Amino acid sequence: MTSQTIIDPPEDGHFRNGKASNGASPTTLSIHLTINGRDHALDIEPRVTLLDALRERLHLTGTKKGCDQGQCGACTVHVEGERVLACLTLAAQVEGRSITTIEGLADEDGTLHAVQAAFLEQDAFQCGYCTPGQIMSAVACIREGHAGSDEEIREYMAGNLCRCGAYPHIVAAVRQAARELRS
Amino acid sequence: MTVHDMKHAGSDSARLEAVGGRLSRVDGPAKITGAAHYAFEQQLEGLTHAVLVGATIAAGKVTGIDTRAAETAPGVLAVLTPDTIMELNSASDWFGRQPSEETYCPLVREVTFSGQHVAAVVAETFEQAVAAAALVKVSYDEMPAIVDLSDGSDGIPVDAMTKEWGDAEAAFAEAPVRVCAAYNTPREFQAAMEPHGLIARWEGDQLTIWEPSQWLDGMARTYAEWFGVPFQNVRLVSPYIGGGFGSKALALAHSAVAAAAAKMLGRPVKLVLNRPQNFTSYGGRAATRQTVAIGADKAGRIQSIVHRGVNETAVDGMWVEPLGSVTSIMYATPNFSSKQNVVRVNTVVPGAKRAPGENPSAFGIECAIDELAHELGIDPLEMRLINYAEQDPHAKKAWSTRQLREAFAAGAEAFGWAKRSREPRSMRDGHQLIGWGVAAGTYPVRRAYGEAVVKLLADGSVEVESSSIDMGQGTYTILAQTAAETLGVPVEKVSVRLGDSHFARAGVTGGSRLAGVMTGAVYKAAGQALDELIGLALSDPRSPFHGLQANTLQVKGGRIASPRGDGPEFSIAELMRALGREKIEAKGDTVPASFTPEQRYNNYTTIAMALPHTEGDYSRHSWCAHFVEVRVDEDFGTVRVSRVVSALDSGRLYNPKLAESQWKGGIIMGIGQALLEEGIVDRRHGRIVNGNLADYMLPTNADIPDIRTISVGIPDPHSSALGGKGVGELGIVGVAPAIANAVFHATGKRVRDLPITLEKLI
Ligand code: FES
Ligand code: FES
Repeated sequence: MTSQTIIDPPEDGHFRNGKASNGASPTTLSIHLTINGRDHALDIEPRVTLLDALRERLHLTGTKKGCDQGQCGACTVHVEGERVLACLTLAAQVEGRSITTIEGLADEDGTLHAVQAAFLEQDAFQCGYCTPGQIMSAVACIREGHAGSDEEIREYMAGNLCRCGAYPHIVAAVRQAARELRS
Repeated sequence: MTVHDMKHAGSDSARLEAVGGRLSRVDGPAKITGAAHYAFEQQLEGLTHAVLVGATIAAGKVTGIDTRAAETAPGVLAVLTPDTIMELNSASDWFGRQPSEETYCPLVREVTFSGQHVAAVVAETFEQAVAAAALVKVSYDEMPAIVDLSDGSDGIPVDAMTKEWGDAEAAFAEAPVRVCAAYNTPREFQAAMEPHGLIARWEGDQLTIWEPSQWLDGMARTYAEWFGVPFQNVRLVSPYIGGGFGSKALALAHSAVAAAAAKMLGRPVKLVLNRPQNFTSYGGRAATRQTVAIGADKAGRIQSIVHRGVNETAVDGMWVEPLGSVTSIMYATPNFSSKQNVVRVNTVVPGAKRAPGENPSAFGIECAIDELAHELGIDPLEMRLINYAEQDPHAKKAWSTRQLREAFAAGAEAFGWAKRSREPRSMRDGHQLIGWGVAAGTYPVRRAYGEAVVKLLADGSVEVESSSIDMGQGTYTILAQTAAETLGVPVEKVSVRLGDSHFARAGVTGGSRLAGVMTGAVYKAAGQALDELIGLALSDPRSPFHGLQANTLQVKGGRIASPRGDGPEFSIAELMRALGREKIEAKGDTVPASFTPEQRYNNYTTIAMALPHTEGDYSRHSWCAHFVEVRVDEDFGTVRVSRVVSALDSGRLYNPKLAESQWKGGIIMGIGQALLEEGIVDRRHGRIVNGNLADYMLPTNADIPDIRTISVGIPDPHSSALGGKGVGELGIVGVAPAIANAVFHATGKRVRDLPITLEKLI
């Protein structure tokens, strides 16, 4: 972490579920998040996840909530370039770190990232709900060097569920994008 | 109906864009950039958040709800209980049948299943609502619950499901070769990645609902009835749907809670089911049991099929999963009997999951015929051809089209079926036993009437509007293709707007009917708009074509000219300018002219008006054949599907690229059904114990091999205006039996209980 957030505990020193000890409002934090290169100021409770901060406070709804339990991968974003589940990350944990969401993947001029273009070309989605998470995972998967073979892609993309069953086309898209990004 | 010949333009891009072309999804760019806002992602001023409290018992009474701690928790605006939530009217069901009760309370005092909604908390933020919901204390008077099918009695006969001809029992008893076995499928869930949920907002007596929906008009009807407001006062908005698979066609209890809370508070309310609640707030596929008995002669010709089925339903609701639907049509047989019962258990009412009925039905008959083939020493593919049904054995009508023989041939060829060695356990690769299995699938063509609006705008662009939806099947794309081709404009000039109940009406998106219905409606509306444009071009004195002795004009690539190509040529925009027109708008529908307004309303808001697939002279179905290779670890019993080749007959494909995706999606869901998926109910408390996405196992990318699909369909003029049959449901039907048959071939063990897990093999 490049910066540490200090959270002031309630008077008796114990955080409680939804309620500070004296019955007053829970502690509110003022934090700054750097998302897609832009700084966002937020006043939020410490229990707010990065996912809900993005979706409910910053109106960046491209990052999806599929389970809120770390089981589906729909909420995958990048923190300092690494894939992270936003539903298992508190917003306050990532203050000062660079966060990338699906909305920040294409170039400013709208040119799609190679992975996005490959997803479109290979029809690597149907309903599109798992797709932002798949794409963020795929970008990281390629960057990690885990897109060497179809086998490897399947394994390293297995944390992103797709109920529409776009898997074979996701593999094809990751394969294609990996090739393009290498050359 | 007739198949309309579509013009076939010459260039590559025209071919791509035309109906039948492999155009990429037109809604794709929004979905891959995060710009697509799904229903409950709308941002509203003053939005509040509701969280439900579910029953922790499966049967009994709520004796008290202590809301004090929740009410005083920070941010809480209201705690709703059966005593404090506003009273609603009961709504009619999806057939339009009037309810038996007068009023409806979506929060219950009498609990009939675990997880049933008992209370709800509304707060300023989601976190506050979650925390306060945990403070609501509910006390119960618990009663014994009927946990699953094995607890119940034989159940209640569903006479409407009985299908019989000949004397099946006697013919079976006399048949020289007989097989008889029981096949079970567990409770399964749709598990769309987007959870169920909604935002409800009242403005006076106008209600707007943003909710993922497979049926805007049907759900709007339910809301209107619940709240006693006119149908037009309810607007349902559902621009993108994150998967439905049958689960998102009805307004449910949680929907009523959110809409009631919004009315009571005078503020918009967002309520999204958490993942475990998605396993209890609406029904998945009912658990089923079937017995299939087949009698045949020594040459393998079926003499009789006797079929008995049972599915679970709820204590306070009825769901029939038609288990004889494939059994009764797949093979020719002179004698047949199928009967079905339902058993009430303490569960939420089961519902539609991809190919309800056909899917478990095919599991029974397609395993049973494999068992018969083995018994007789006949190749399972040959067995199916020996008993090929040349007409619908039940309806005794000709098939509209049935490319199943072609599917078997094409699939077998691509798979290399001829190289299969007959004996079980005869193919291996080291410690892996290899098995090859085949099974067929089918799904009826469900037809209905639809309407669409097509607008030609002053700048030459085109808008298509319909209250139908796109949950990933590609509605946006194929309707853009249909409008573009019919009007003769480039597809990028067409924008399709769906998912708003204030648009031209559409019935349910389910049973694979939407593409056929809506391409027909758009074709008609676009044709009317084109006729009007050409009519004006020829007759309006301001038109540059006026006075040319042409009797018609042609539009190609967005430009209008005489078909002989000898006169002037203008873009649509230029012509519209000359005509001084802002737009030309046409509403086209396929509804019979004789329909009264009430019939029209019922057509869109109920399923009662759908046309039977055996109406008239033909029996209409899509068909498929799946060829599967499995590898079973000899020591551990783990099963991996290593290869799938499926040949499918969905008639004419409006967009093969998207159809292939849907087929593969169905096949993958079938792999999950065969090997992974099972709702496990705790016997003490009647609770689903694996109601989350880690414990209810869905196929992951690592579970799925490359899948090859082959289209063997031909245009079917009896099934839809443009010749297509159903796509979305078909792919899953027959996958589980193909895998079970392959596992038998690999191991010599016949697993008749899904899913096929390792403990059943070792
Ligand atoms: S929403 Fe985060 S993993 Fe499912
Ligand atoms: S595209 Fe629908 S869940 Fe993946």
